[in-house]
Amino acid sequence: MVEKPITGSRKAFMTGNEIVTWAALASGADIMFGYPITPQNEVMHYWTRLAPRFGREFLQTEDEISAGFTVCGAVQAGRKAFTATAGPGNVLMQEPFGMAEAMRLPVVAVIQQRGGPSSGTVVYSQQEVTLTAYGGNGEGHRIVYSVATHQEIFDYVIKAFNTAWTYRFPTFVLGDGYQAKMREPLELYDPAERGIQLVPPTPLVGLPGAIGEDREPQHLCNIYSLEEELYDAVLRLEKDYQAMAPLVVEWQEKNCDHAELIVVSHGVVSRAADDAVQALRQEGVRAGFFRPVTLRPFPQQQLREALRRSGAGRLLVAESSQGQLLRLLRQELYGERVPIDALLMPGVGIVDEDIIAKVKSIL
Amino acid sequence: MIQPAMPKSWYAPTKPHKFCPGCGHGIALKALGEAIDELNIQNRTVFGCDIGCSLLAWNFFAVDSTQTHHGRTTPVMVGIKRSRPDLLCVGYMGDGGGYSIGSQHLLNSAIRDEKVTLILINNTNYAMTGGQLAPTTLPGQKTETTPYGRDVTKTGYPTKGPEMLAAITADGAYIARATVAKYRQLRTFMKRALQNQMEGNGFSFLEVLSTCPTNWRTNAAQTWDFLEDQMEAYFPVGELKSPFGKGEK
Amino acid sequence: MARIVEAYVGEYASGKSEIAINRALELSGCGQPVTLVDLDTVEPFYTLRPLKAWLEQQGITVVGSGQEESFGLGETGGRIHPAARWALRREGVIILDIGYGVFGARTLNLVEGAQADPDLRVLAVINTARPMTSSVADIVGYVRDLGRVDALVSNSHLGDQTTPEFIIAGHRKVVQAARELGLPVAFLAVEERWREPLEAVDLGGVPVKYIRRYMPAALW
Repeated sequence: MVEKPITGSRKAFMTGNEIVTWAALASGADIMFGYPITPQNEVMHYWTRLAPRFGREFLQTEDEISAGFTVCGAVQAGRKAFTATAGPGNVLMQEPFGMAEAMRLPVVAVIQQRGGPSSGTVVYSQQEVTLTAYGGNGEGHRIVYSVATHQEIFDYVIKAFNTAWTYRFPTFVLGDGYQAKMREPLELYDPAERGIQLVPPTPLVGLPGAIGEDREPQHLCNIYSLEEELYDAVLRLEKDYQAMAPLVVEWQEKNCDHAELIVVSHGVVSRAADDAVQALRQEGVRAGFFRPVTLRPFPQQQLREALRRSGAGRLLVAESSQGQLLRLLRQELYGERVPIDALLMPGVGIVDEDIIAKVKSIL
Repeated sequence: MIQPAMPKSWYAPTKPHKFCPGCGHGIALKALGEAIDELNIQNRTVFGCDIGCSLLAWNFFAVDSTQTHHGRTTPVMVGIKRSRPDLLCVGYMGDGGGYSIGSQHLLNSAIRDEKVTLILINNTNYAMTGGQLAPTTLPGQKTETTPYGRDVTKTGYPTKGPEMLAAITADGAYIARATVAKYRQLRTFMKRALQNQMEGNGFSFLEVLSTCPTNWRTNAAQTWDFLEDQMEAYFPVGELKSPFGKGEK
Repeated sequence: MARIVEAYVGEYASGKSEIAINRALELSGCGQPVTLVDLDTVEPFYTLRPLKAWLEQQGITVVGSGQEESFGLGETGGRIHPAARWALRREGVIILDIGYGVFGARTLNLVEGAQADPDLRVLAVINTARPMTSSVADIVGYVRDLGRVDALVSNSHLGDQTTPEFIIAGHRKVVQAARELGLPVAFLAVEERWREPLEAVDLGGVPVKYIRRYMPAALW
């Protein structure tokens, strides 16, 4: 009997990429498919070191297209499979991710955003928001968790496997180069000890029973002859997605009571925003903090309520991209009259002083 | 009503099938069906099909089947096989899917000696999209995108897949080219390509020379002439690599 | 004074660069030139590069590329500075900062004369907060895989969440592992802020070095 990767819980000091590996092990992931790209490589480095100890598998594929499609195959075979990528690799994987949307394949992918467009930098950015949330030739029927701390990387990778296998939509943990490489303390734990039930995988092909006697053959398909058939299929996806949305949507709201302005940010920038808002409050500036944890589905109802409750007259978006969160916000807040200011720093880190200065220039 | 004999592993509710009259796919799929029956592997076969005419086989068999994107059947089969080695994974694709858009997957799965069986139908054109140049289009052959005939100085020579794969695979691989014009041999090769996976010997690949009268605009006699004279002259039929003896020419 | 040549090896994020910098700064006033060599090859992220100019202001010679000499950052991680190959021919104190990777201490093969250098000491930095080296058995197995190691450096901490209890528990594991490996523990590295709580603690006779953390300022 192979031992559990983590028993009980323990403190550790790790980089984000390593945490992805440990969380995937703790989630019962059976197999990883991957292709080297910075800044996610240590996910593969540590998975390949650790996987054999716990009876797990790995394949380095010929490219990211193949990594995505092998994951699609593995989950059809009823195995918990995942991949990790970034930047141009994320672009290539949109093709298999699209198939996963269409065929309801519980694919899990960790995205460590790097600077773009093109090869950009390998360092950091928040420029893969649109791609991860809405990439592919579909309707963005995905779940995207944007994590901010090392503890969250661990928590949300575990959650991503459960969400994927519960709702059967492709599920993403969106990190970035900073989070991939930064080192921080966190608590590793056995999900069972926290009362987290791991959702067991179920196969779509290779089912038990004799065909024609015990069961019909399984014929999986993602192509339709008629536009009406596709229309029905997409409406079914949309209906299931909307039914799921309130159950998976997550957000964080702090200091929004009587706020004049709410700072909206996601991922690692939300750490700076949180610090900035606390500092501003201490100075008597009535700033508030709102962070979508899920970028898809977006907590639009919750943000609208925060606006109404606080009476805030302004929003400030802070992000390391030229307005990808801002576009989401405009779309999700359609009809609200609140003016939105923006601190946009594509591919560049944002610290609390940047946000404090911006807020002061507005108020 | 008298029905033609069908392999047990064919899925009767989807018959008659949807391929054009004179198309070779039906013959290749019959050989595959008979091989599945003979090896008694219907309940543990997973059939993956590509885009292009091969797509029309998505519900052809009474075996678990999954359809993928153009060229991506190979990695999906690899993903299933790596996850469930007890299953027999058969990827079914055209020459465009295997030799063009999915060539990196074909090449690398062969190099890695993936224990899957890939069947590639060579009909010298992209048929589903209306007859464009394929990697296998013969020199001088007209297609919708080579209206003056394939000019090898501009588009290169036809891809010789089995020859390439035989050169890069390990011992234990099964690499062959068959033709729908020689059914008994085709069925033998099909069976060996599956048996090789069952025995875990290595990567298995079978190219099948096939016919496309619809896009060739040929009558029955011309179709056979093109297949047997021109295609077989360029693409020699036989086993290039086989753990089952010396290899049949 | 005897020639000092130290190579710091160990697990990813175990504190190799931090210890190497602190050691170089500690020795910089000793009357001999001090050279710090960057041999981090596997996708370095926290590297000496951003600190190179500052370290040189402190009188340390840094062999490695500075920010302006690098290109593409992480993806050129596999490149080592040509001068690093000849680092052991330099006068004075030489501190080698070896990155992580499956080849462990074998990265020293890239440095001319490393195998034959009579003064070279290879020190494995161990932080028990690293999951690969969190137990005595893990540390023993890990160090045996590294290749040549002459001593351990005890460096257990949890960043901002460090407690004296964690340091002490980690240190005891390192001491135990060193005993099983038949190696000495060269020193215990702790941040200056733990000086007082550790003063009365039995550390198994291992000397303590109080360090400052420079690396958090050294992203990419």
